[in-house]
Amino acid sequence: MSFTYFLKRAAFAALALAALMTSAFFLVRLTGDPVDLYLPVDASSAAREAMRVRLGLDASLPVQFLDWAWDMIRLDFGMSLWHNRPAMDVVLEALPNTLALGAIALTLAFVAAIVIGSIAAVNAGGWIDRGVNVLSQAAASVPDFWLGLMGVLLFAVTFRILPTSGFGGPIYWVLPIACLFARPFGTLVQIVRGSMIEALNATFVRTARAKGARDGRVTFVHALRNALLPAVTVTGDLAAQFAGGGGVVEVVFGFPGIGKLLIDGILKRDFAIVQASIFAVAVVIFFINILVDMLYASIDPRVRVE
Amino acid sequence: MNKIRKINALSVGMALLVGVALPAYAASDKLTVVVTDEPKSLDPCDTDLSGNSRVMHNNITEALVNLSPKDGSVVPSLATSWRQVDSLTWEFKLREGVTFHDGKVFDAQAVVAALKRGQDPSLACEVGLATLKGIKLTAEAVTPTTLRIKTDVVEPILPNKMSALDIGSPATPGDGKTRAPAGTGPYKLAAWTPGQSVTLTAYDGYWGDKPPIKHATIIWRAESAVRAAMVDTGEAQIAYEIAPQDGTTGQDHAFPNAETSLLRIDAQVPPLNDKRVREALNLAIDRDGLVGTVFHKDAQKAMQVVPPSVFGFNPDIPVWTYDPKKAKALLAAAKADGVPVDKEIVIYGRIGIYPNSSESLEAIQAMLADAGFNARLEMLETSPWLKRLLKPWEKERQPSILQTQIDNTEGDAVFTLPNRFTSDGNQSTIADAKLDKLIADASKSTGDERKKMFQEAFRYIAVDAVNIAPLFHMVTIARVAKNVNYTVDVQAGNEIKLRTVSYR
Repeated sequence: MSFTYFLKRAAFAALALAALMTSAFFLVRLTGDPVDLYLPVDASSAAREAMRVRLGLDASLPVQFLDWAWDMIRLDFGMSLWHNRPAMDVVLEALPNTLALGAIALTLAFVAAIVIGSIAAVNAGGWIDRGVNVLSQAAASVPDFWLGLMGVLLFAVTFRILPTSGFGGPIYWVLPIACLFARPFGTLVQIVRGSMIEALNATFVRTARAKGARDGRVTFVHALRNALLPAVTVTGDLAAQFAGGGGVVEVVFGFPGIGKLLIDGILKRDFAIVQASIFAVAVVIFFINILVDMLYASIDPRVRVE
Repeated sequence: MNKIRKINALSVGMALLVGVALPAYAASDKLTVVVTDEPKSLDPCDTDLSGNSRVMHNNITEALVNLSPKDGSVVPSLATSWRQVDSLTWEFKLREGVTFHDGKVFDAQAVVAALKRGQDPSLACEVGLATLKGIKLTAEAVTPTTLRIKTDVVEPILPNKMSALDIGSPATPGDGKTRAPAGTGPYKLAAWTPGQSVTLTAYDGYWGDKPPIKHATIIWRAESAVRAAMVDTGEAQIAYEIAPQDGTTGQDHAFPNAETSLLRIDAQVPPLNDKRVREALNLAIDRDGLVGTVFHKDAQKAMQVVPPSVFGFNPDIPVWTYDPKKAKALLAAAKADGVPVDKEIVIYGRIGIYPNSSESLEAIQAMLADAGFNARLEMLETSPWLKRLLKPWEKERQPSILQTQIDNTEGDAVFTLPNRFTSDGNQSTIADAKLDKLIADASKSTGDERKKMFQEAFRYIAVDAVNIAPLFHMVTIARVAKNVNYTVDVQAGNEIKLRTVSYR
């Protein structure tokens, strides 16, 4: 990948980001202002109006937009109303936790899916394949909310081998990772299995076998490399979803990630938090997409990223 | 042999895992409490909001007085006595030998500063926006232990109101909120890790009895099942707001939380502007059928919007009976007079306002339909719900009833009535000159006269005006570890009384 290519991508991404942030500006404001949520219900209408003035919400929408656009150009995301701190500080505290959680869960899911999906494909139609099929369908469709609560009941309350929730050493990461692992694992196993069956029946595999290559080499070198591309594509999409936070998993386990921050930010109409979160996540997704492109090129030399 | 080795390795692995997995479990002077949400602010002037107050009030910061959980009477805290000098002046004698966690001395000047800060509009303090709203208080330090507060209007219950003003150190910044409060309470803030926990440690210089618990950690989990599980595993010793379906063990204690649930009727829009229709609505609700099913079995049927512990509560108002036949007859009579009773009425609910909030409204919607109402249910997030709760409303609007609940931990009816039941009230669907005068007169009077007038106001609302369908005086559930002594009371929603907690 050349530097020019990167710059070109970055320029497109910047345009997309500007459009995204503009939509975010209008969309969050369509849902109502935060004054009623922020002030006690008994607060007077004068106090409500004073707060609208203090937050600049009394100005017309175009004026608010210009103010906001000027702040965005200077990367000033403003103060979080709820946290009473600079919004980007709050976001940058939560984002690494989410990225680490997502990266670990997704890497484990990807590796496990390749191994198990390949085994199923090699034994296509057999009882192992059928077992894997049931397991992966279940994993792909189980709600992570339910899985989280069951994990707490089983491993924390009954067996007492894991903490119920919280944030700290590696032990606190086990249940959230296990919950986030399930769905991508299930989806990826199905994809790897399907594309492996296709690859294993392809002519280049027959040629490899005819040349005397061993079974393991045929499966994991010749077929798998070709079967990986769809799995990488889907993993890229899943990674982009994960960058936006572990959603309910973060809520159930009290895991201080960007998903919970964003959900709370939307519910509390904390505009600064919502906008800073969207910006940070969008930048991460940009880099994930670059990474996926680079992976394509390294897996399949026919793909040119220029 | 190989198998045995594998099993041994597995056992060692599990043992190690268990060893590591037991993080913050009970020690004799450490306590972990799990609540639903992170506090929004730890500024002393923001304790009017229960989520902040639970962490702060009487733990980190204290007020001049407290309210007794038994009967709402005013009891000493940082003030030892008080008297009304004239109709516009109150005098407080302050406790001596009290210091703030930052070493500053507690005196009348500190209270003057805290009051000024609490009422500063640019800070938008919760206490200034709610409890101290609408009155101008000017405090003067007569001596270091004598404080005089002048009011611009007659304020017979100023001491009650002062229970909401927590006094922070004079070093608290005057130009913004603080995240590192210094108070006079039995605990000082050790750390606030955003998104994770607040930790408190006992303050050696505390003026009162030293608390048995030396280190307290307050954490938050949104899920009731997780909060309950944390007490089971020993990760926490006290968990609040356990949902009825999770709170079924011997460790779960239900207690009245000073909240009263009700449906507010928009009595200004037809057909709900007809009193017979509003009465029919009340008669159509089977309150006995709701309690013990979607509402907790210990919830008490309500006849007014404050619980019995509040000054001004009227014990003589009859509770609505369940009489669908009479409801139908009233609707028929109204219809015969041309009232559009078939018009669709929207029931606005708020998701999660209390446990089973949606289920309760689904049941009520079915009961109303049985009685002949045309009711549609709409569950809202907090923000759009607030738009329905607070004025201004559109002139042309659909007839509606709104699910709400009202809390009164301050112990006097004045904290409930003016905003909700007078013409000027920001949440009031009633504009009745007689009721306005009654509430205004009651607010200015004292003693028995005050009590009688408030009782009459509650009677008038429930029997004459009927712009509410009162439901229940609510209870909430706390799960307490077996080895912990802790008595939950009506103030538990606003105050975790850490200094009263000990291990058995």
